[in-house]
Amino acid sequence: MTVSEQEVKRAGLTRQAIGRLYRGVPGLLIAGFIGLIITIVLTIWGVDLSGFDPGAQSLADRLLPPLTDGHLLGTDQLGRDVFSRVSVGFRWSVPVGLLATAIAATIGSLAGVAAAWKTGWVRSVLTRMMDVAISFPYLVLAVTIIAVVGHSFWALVLTLGLVSWVSFARVIYAETLRLREREYLVAARLLGNSALRIATTYVARGLRHTIAVMYAFIFADLLVAEAGLSFLGLGAPLGAPSWGNMLAASREHLFTAPWLMYAPAAAVILVVLTANLIGDGLIQHWGRGTTQH
Amino acid sequence: MTTSDRTQSVPASSEAGTALPPAVGYGRYALRQIGYRLGQLIILLLGITALLFFLLRLTGDPALVLVGDLASDEAIERVREFYGLDKPLIVQYLLFLGQAAQLNFGTSLQSFRPALDVVLEHLPATLLLAAAAVTINIVVALVVGTWLGYRPDRPERRAGLLAVIVSQGIPGFVVGLILIQLFAVTWGLLPSIGIDGPKSLILPALTLASFLLPRVIRLTATNVDQAMRQDYVRTARASGARPRSVLGRHALPNAVIGTVALIGVQFGFLLSGSLITETLFAWPGIGLLLIEAVRALDYPIVQASVFVIALLVFVVNTATDLLFPLLDPRLRSQRA
Repeated sequence: MTVSEQEVKRAGLTRQAIGRLYRGVPGLLIAGFIGLIITIVLTIWGVDLSGFDPGAQSLADRLLPPLTDGHLLGTDQLGRDVFSRVSVGFRWSVPVGLLATAIAATIGSLAGVAAAWKTGWVRSVLTRMMDVAISFPYLVLAVTIIAVVGHSFWALVLTLGLVSWVSFARVIYAETLRLREREYLVAARLLGNSALRIATTYVARGLRHTIAVMYAFIFADLLVAEAGLSFLGLGAPLGAPSWGNMLAASREHLFTAPWLMYAPAAAVILVVLTANLIGDGLIQHWGRGTTQH
Repeated sequence: MTTSDRTQSVPASSEAGTALPPAVGYGRYALRQIGYRLGQLIILLLGITALLFFLLRLTGDPALVLVGDLASDEAIERVREFYGLDKPLIVQYLLFLGQAAQLNFGTSLQSFRPALDVVLEHLPATLLLAAAAVTINIVVALVVGTWLGYRPDRPERRAGLLAVIVSQGIPGFVVGLILIQLFAVTWGLLPSIGIDGPKSLILPALTLASFLLPRVIRLTATNVDQAMRQDYVRTARASGARPRSVLGRHALPNAVIGTVALIGVQFGFLLSGSLITETLFAWPGIGLLLIEAVRALDYPIVQASVFVIALLVFVVNTATDLLFPLLDPRLRSQRA
């Protein structure tokens, strides 16, 4: 048995096992969609709902606890409304995560399909690259790249995309290997379709579920990575409304104003949980139909 | 990267070991695997050093960082010459490679001591923290994972599984902040800064453990569930063994292998977590050192840290590769 067959079999087995474990855990997808709606509402209308300008400072209203003077989640060390600031954070963190995942998905899918389709040196080089890159701590790489490309929206997007494409590529590689052996693809090849046509129509179609699930998971990871980098002071620029920046600033006030930490933490957890629930829910939803054949 | 565990349980494309007929002994498998991993290590180190070397020198002029903004032009020139910063980049890189091959990464731009020495001084703290986190992971995953996976259909275990899934959405550094807020700030029970006695290990170790824990629990639960459905388990039960003894004797040992494998494979991810954990708790390990070196543009320290981290990952991954065929004879015959 070759390694590729093994990997394919393993991927199938794991999915079946996960599916079995989930049977009867109700409504992962529904819970995910509820989270998605809350996220969208807060992203678009959060600031309006709070009734405060996220940038408005007021030294008289410093460190007010939640539910005082109309501040739902209190105020921070400069008297800014926390709810409003956390809401603006959605407009920073969610796009960073989505765009970085898009970069990872594009590079990862191309590399994964190429490695599975082209045997010989292409596969050998690509799988080796994946093995090398996967074992190295991604944050170490991200920290050093960020230090160079600087602190900006696009620098973060690029760095996070570049350190995470391998996760995508590995899964796409395994899935494409599985797909290759399916009858309809064998038939498509025997009928003389060009490799490009097969890749862009049949393979892309066969991979769409996998890509959607991976998109949700990697997005969740990169959102955490962005917050983590910003927390270390190596991510978002100082003034940017990143939750990581807010969490870093909250450390000095943990005793007097713990809400400064809990509010952005809750926002991170909301978005990550939503993405994970959607990913797991999609596996549950598609799992049985797509893997058992 | 972080999500790798979702599809990967054992290193994948290692072509070494694939062509092994079952008759070939463990020794040859081990040698091939070590060779393969060594090759990976060299590729990784070359790639990363090149990337870091050129990127780090684009950030700013290290000479300016060294002497400060107010230094005279003459002083800056002298520093450039002293550190070889006046030579073309490619020459600097080749010189660097030559020195790195002899484990000489230069001297720290902050403390003026050999960079590798500084990094190695910080290694024990990182190893201690990682070992504590791995131990917590294994113990908790085996207890909770077995409980969840043994009878996954029971309502309370379904609820437990859901709780694990939910906890997967809580980032490690948020866990750390909450632990600090509760145990160090509010209740004043445990220290949250630096190394000072065994008590100071508790919060950082829990924080680092939390980076991996939910997924390790999930995998253990899945493995136990799967193992309980194997033919040999059915045979054991059919021949009258009690369910609990079947679990302990047959299902659990097989599930443990997967748990330890996942932790071994995810060791690199754990080190990512230690960057954040060490910064959060001012834990004097390599992670904190690296973050501070990046902020200060102290590139000899950055390069030496990255080298030691890559070496650490290499050692753990290779050990994982070598351990598993020993623990699980099926892996050896499967490779045929």
